[in-house]
Amino acid sequence: MSAVIDIQGVEKTYKRRIKALRGVDMTVGDGEIFGLLGPNGAGKSTLVKIMMTVISPSKCSGTVLGSKVGDKATLQQIGYLPEHHRFPPYLTGRQVLEHFGALSGIQRKQRKAKASELLELVGMDSWHKDKLGSYSKGMRQRVGLAQALMNDPKLVVLDEPTDGVDPSGRRDIRNILTHLKNEGRTVFLNSHLLSELEMVCDRVAIMVHGLVRTQGTIDELTAEQSGFVITTASPITDAMKSEISTPSMPDLIQSSSDTTISFKTSEASAVQPAIDTLRKHNIVIQSAGFKRPSLEDLFMQVVDTNNGAKPGAISGAKATSRPSNNPTKGGANS
Amino acid sequence: MILTQTTAIFVDAYRELNAKKLFWLTMVLTVVFAASLAMIGIDKEGVRFLWFHLGFIPINSDIIEPKAFYLASFSYLGIGIWLTWIATILAIISTAGIIPELVTGGTIESVLARPISRARLFLTKYLSGLLFVALQVSVFSVLSMLIIWNRSGYLEPRILLAIPIVVSFFSFLFCICAFIGLITRSTMTAMLLTLLFWAFLFILNIGDGILVQFHESTNIYVEQRTQRVELARTNTVKLLNRDRENQGLSIEDYQPTEEEIHTKNPLLTRLETSLEKDQADLKSLDMWTKAIFTAKTFFPKTGETIELLNRKLIDPEAFTPVEENEPSVATDPFSDIEIDQDELGQRVEARFRERSVLWILGTSFIFEFFVLGLSTLIFTRRDF
Repeated sequence: MSAVIDIQGVEKTYKRRIKALRGVDMTVGDGEIFGLLGPNGAGKSTLVKIMMTVISPSKCSGTVLGSKVGDKATLQQIGYLPEHHRFPPYLTGRQVLEHFGALSGIQRKQRKAKASELLELVGMDSWHKDKLGSYSKGMRQRVGLAQALMNDPKLVVLDEPTDGVDPSGRRDIRNILTHLKNEGRTVFLNSHLLSELEMVCDRVAIMVHGLVRTQGTIDELTAEQSGFVITTASPITDAMKSEISTPSMPDLIQSSSDTTISFKTSEASAVQPAIDTLRKHNIVIQSAGFKRPSLEDLFMQVVDTNNGAKPGAISGAKATSRPSNNPTKGGANS
Repeated sequence: MILTQTTAIFVDAYRELNAKKLFWLTMVLTVVFAASLAMIGIDKEGVRFLWFHLGFIPINSDIIEPKAFYLASFSYLGIGIWLTWIATILAIISTAGIIPELVTGGTIESVLARPISRARLFLTKYLSGLLFVALQVSVFSVLSMLIIWNRSGYLEPRILLAIPIVVSFFSFLFCICAFIGLITRSTMTAMLLTLLFWAFLFILNIGDGILVQFHESTNIYVEQRTQRVELARTNTVKLLNRDRENQGLSIEDYQPTEEEIHTKNPLLTRLETSLEKDQADLKSLDMWTKAIFTAKTFFPKTGETIELLNRKLIDPEAFTPVEENEPSVATDPFSDIEIDQDELGQRVEARFRERSVLWILGTSFIFEFFVLGLSTLIFTRRDF
């Protein structure tokens, strides 16, 4: 899989003191849906704006679609939906599409045909003659998504595409993203809605304090934390844990709760000795089963781990794995 | 692709102005003003508005040729009042938002993420503002040309010079409007500071006009006093010669001394003192007019730019009946000096017409290019 986005060491410092990005490395493969996560102020939008030439990086190397970051001509192959966009309210839905299509250099005849096709795709064909000023936020978002596709882009960069969209609209957008992927396009998503990303993304990256802390497929990222979890009614003492941790048992996964114990295995048979030990101590077993953390769990864990450290104190953690590598091993300082 | 993108920016600017309704309001007013010029006429009886004679205007077609009258109406009323004042204020109000709205968060990202260079984007947006004025002036000028053709029988294509001249005049103000709009991102601030800048240019122009007028009137005083001093001196020498002849002395090789002249004619001293004072005033005014001229060199010359149209359209001789003026040498050198206002007006006019087109337009365009260059540099380097 060739890389559509392959950037290294992206830094951005505002007013010579505010470090928004501290050396971001990121690779997005061709034809995948890539999700960028991070808390507010992590630098996600700054990174997206650098790729879209809206702001200039303080330091950056690498390529987007094979060209140097900041190359204007490459933008002809990129579709972009900015966060909090404000398209001219005096334009109709169709005019917005045609206007931005023209700015991308598309000829009139093609623009008209493409606008009709996309208005239908985003479910706005019956509203195309109405002015944007009369649209709901969700409708504007749909038109925004359509304008990002006007130039038939190889790479679609969407900043919070489901912002203000109702559940059915979100499902429609997910379907469109899948449709884009099936057409062979690469989609770069920046979103807060982790459940949305989990449903559509092939790979994700989590940014905290201007650095990518981890990136990879969701399976890869959550594998480290997946395991067989036994939940008990009363606390499990350290002595019991020592008794359970024999060389024949799977490795223990550190748990924040004293009423759960987790093992790095998916096999129920492998943890039976642990259940026997707990029962021997009259501990009531409430539940037992294989559990894989959600993207939200992973996100919270990465954010919590990195929020403790001062942004500037993080070192050697910026580099994360490439698609072919194991993401969790290189993965940040978590 | 460049053509497609440029057209899209122009079309968008038109839609934006159209949405504000001001484009069509200004256009309708322009047509109404042009039509009102068609209602003014001149014949042997005087100036006519529709069917009514305006008796209080003391001119008729014997004094001024109809063609010159219509051209002057177009230049002084159409351009001087309508296009360079009322329509310009409307244009500034209409176009002040073009750059601030472009650089507003939420809008600029969508535009910058297109395969169009920032410099080209900014300059095309800037030109779209000028296009607004160009359309208004073109409609007004073409209509006026047709009206004058209909009324006087002369087709005068020089009227179309108003298009580049008025657009240049507006561009001198609009570059400031774009610059302030880019820096502050506020339409209101851009509009108000542009109007303030225009007021500053207006005051500078008025100051220049007043100083030139003072300079020329003082010049007339100096010239006339010089003539009077020479006349008084000649008369005094004649008197001294006559006195010598009466005393039976020869006047051959006789050169009266300054003391003899001033003793004979004590009023000459007063006359010379006045002349010296006027010469000192003239020197001082000369310095001030040069200073204000130098100051104006660095700023756009809005007034003079519009005046260029008058230079091309209006023939001053068509207004003034040709008279052979007597040389204004006073027979009584001690009588009060009276300045001929026509002569003063002509001298002031001549002083302004001495200012070359290169100085007027060249330095104004240098100012505009500097401001535009600075704006473009800021726009291309700024993070949005």
